[in-house]
Amino acid sequence: MVSAQILRSCLNELRDITRVEFCLQDSQGGVVTATSGAVKSEPRLVTALSASMVDSQVVGNTYMLKVLDEDEVAFILSATGSSDSVFMVARMAVSELQHMIAAYKERYDRHNFFQDLLLDNLLLVDVANRARKLHIAEIQPRAIILFEVEADDSQLVRQLLSGIFTTQNGDYLSEVEQGGVILVKSLESNTDTAGLEQAAETAIDMLNMEAMVRARAAFGSIVMELKDLSKSYKEARMALEVGKIFYAERNLTDYNRLGIGRLIYQLPTGLCRIFIREIFGANEEMAFDPEVVATVTTFFENNLNVSETARRLFIHRNTLVYRIEKLQKDTGLDIRRFDDALILQVALMVSSYVRYKSAN
Amino acid sequence: MASLSLKDICKVYPNGFQAVKNFNMEIEDKEFIIFVGPSGCGKSTTLRMIAGLEDISSGEFRIDGVLMNDVEPKDRDIAMVFQNYALYPHMTVYDNMAFGLKLRKVPKDEIDKAVREAAKILDLTQLLDRKPKALSGGQRQRVAMGRAIVRSPKVFLMDEPLSNLDAKLRVQMRTEIAKLHQRLGTTIIYVTHDQTEAMTLGSRIVVMKDGIVQQIDSPQNLYDNPANLFVAGFMGSPQMNFIEAKVKVSGQSASLLIEDQEIVLPADKAKAVIAGGYDGKTVIMGIRPENIIEADGSEAYRFKSTVNVYELLGAEVFLYFDLTGANITARVEPTTKVRPGDTVTYTFDTKKIHIFDKETEVTIVN
Repeated sequence: MVSAQILRSCLNELRDITRVEFCLQDSQGGVVTATSGAVKSEPRLVTALSASMVDSQVVGNTYMLKVLDEDEVAFILSATGSSDSVFMVARMAVSELQHMIAAYKERYDRHNFFQDLLLDNLLLVDVANRARKLHIAEIQPRAIILFEVEADDSQLVRQLLSGIFTTQNGDYLSEVEQGGVILVKSLESNTDTAGLEQAAETAIDMLNMEAMVRARAAFGSIVMELKDLSKSYKEARMALEVGKIFYAERNLTDYNRLGIGRLIYQLPTGLCRIFIREIFGANEEMAFDPEVVATVTTFFENNLNVSETARRLFIHRNTLVYRIEKLQKDTGLDIRRFDDALILQVALMVSSYVRYKSAN
Repeated sequence: MASLSLKDICKVYPNGFQAVKNFNMEIEDKEFIIFVGPSGCGKSTTLRMIAGLEDISSGEFRIDGVLMNDVEPKDRDIAMVFQNYALYPHMTVYDNMAFGLKLRKVPKDEIDKAVREAAKILDLTQLLDRKPKALSGGQRQRVAMGRAIVRSPKVFLMDEPLSNLDAKLRVQMRTEIAKLHQRLGTTIIYVTHDQTEAMTLGSRIVVMKDGIVQQIDSPQNLYDNPANLFVAGFMGSPQMNFIEAKVKVSGQSASLLIEDQEIVLPADKAKAVIAGGYDGKTVIMGIRPENIIEADGSEAYRFKSTVNVYELLGAEVFLYFDLTGANITARVEPTTKVRPGDTVTYTFDTKKIHIFDKETEVTIVN
């Protein structure tokens, strides 16, 4: 149901415009919200009006009107004022409130619909039926962009994103789990992955700039049919995870460009542990030794060039050779050889994966 | 009002990738600092560490002497303008500028004051009621900047804010940003890969490569006295010409041998070359395009080359030719009669020669 805070804000605005005071009570006479100068109607009068066939009633200089939600009495609105137009203003307020309730319900339904859709909780036939009821196009290029933010106030993040990605453009924001905001992004028929990436980058930059929060994002494939959105969502979730494990330096991950991380992510952890033991033996912690990681990573970045790596690491060439030989002694892998370098790189990635899995 | 201090700042990602290494810098209040370098050099990462959007792996970052390493981005009193910005399409310019403050629950009257002041600074007062679709590209960019200005931050961080604009608008906005800095009098850190932007805007420029600071200096000093081959090549358009040369020392004088010509070095340059023990060694000689002069026959040395390409830019002409396998660019007057296929005889302004160590690429003498 629409919150009392929203109802209060609406009534206060109407009061500021019309100088008419409003009090909104439930069908039992309990006050839901009221403007500062409003007079509360007696509960017995409210209950009586709720049960009666009439739509409105006048008691002294207070007009009491029913606010309906799908033909059921949701509230009783009491309007008090000195001008002749109080009744007309009260009717307009009722109309406003009824539309607000309807819009909120529709939005709430959309929210549930998208949550169920993304979590595969809907039958195919229900997808089509409910989409039609909620005026959501079934055939339309869409993709899921998943945002993960390091912020306590996910409401702020949602508010900001909803400012950029509006429902008028067919975009929809939802939340399935805490700390994550899901954007169902509607796309033009000619939008490719680059366009989607641009939209996601813009959103991340906006979260950084406006909300001043750290954000990561990932997006799944573009799908044409509404029923396939859950596939795009699952892909985006996987891309976000893979990005966090293997590509921490990027804040945006595309499911279709996960590289070798995609393969490692799907390996059973038991198998990974056997592989790590095979490479590092008892020295499994070596895979996280900052000196080892920095040396090996820089060596790979510089195409296994010893001189260039030593220069980049600000160490003497002989120091680098010593480190490489020590690594060879510990693991049996000489990373100056391409085959061994490849094995070690995979081993480091597998170690990162296992550590992440253990921590989560 | 803010001074920033970055001491031994490093950024290492969990996968071992070292994005920034030992970044050291003191930034004075009201300075306009530019981080420049090729993509992947760590300039944006450094900016993001200053913003608090990336953790600092090691080192200390202070604003006005207060350690900021663990302070949340929103509590650092900074504002950012990034490359990708979006205006809220259904909001007016006023609401776009006010939105961030509304989210932070700033009182309405304060928001109004801040927005109107920012609009005045950015010359947007007449456009406050317009929606983004009714604005030009430059006006939209100014609104994006307005969103940062309304916060009245101590420091502005800008990450390639003009890179999505077309060339003409970029030049126009560059001027706007320079004016803005003068009006606001705030510390600005600006990231770009465009050396023209860097040269025209910055009070000091930080040149970065592979996560390492190559040189921090004023634009003029960077241009005239580059610390190494990378800086020399990166700053200046067209870039500095580099030619391998052999050093010949005789007594107190030294010269560079290129082809069959001997370039006698001025005393100060000769002294540095001799002191460095470069006699008989190969070095890299650098000469800027504007320091290549058409020879009139009276010079001690001169070279002959065939012009490959002639480029007229209106106020100047670039001539492209080869010398000992190196591609050379010369900047000459537009009145030149030289055309592609012609042979040119030219010499160098010896006082403007730069000499670099071939192995370490460090400057021997400028």
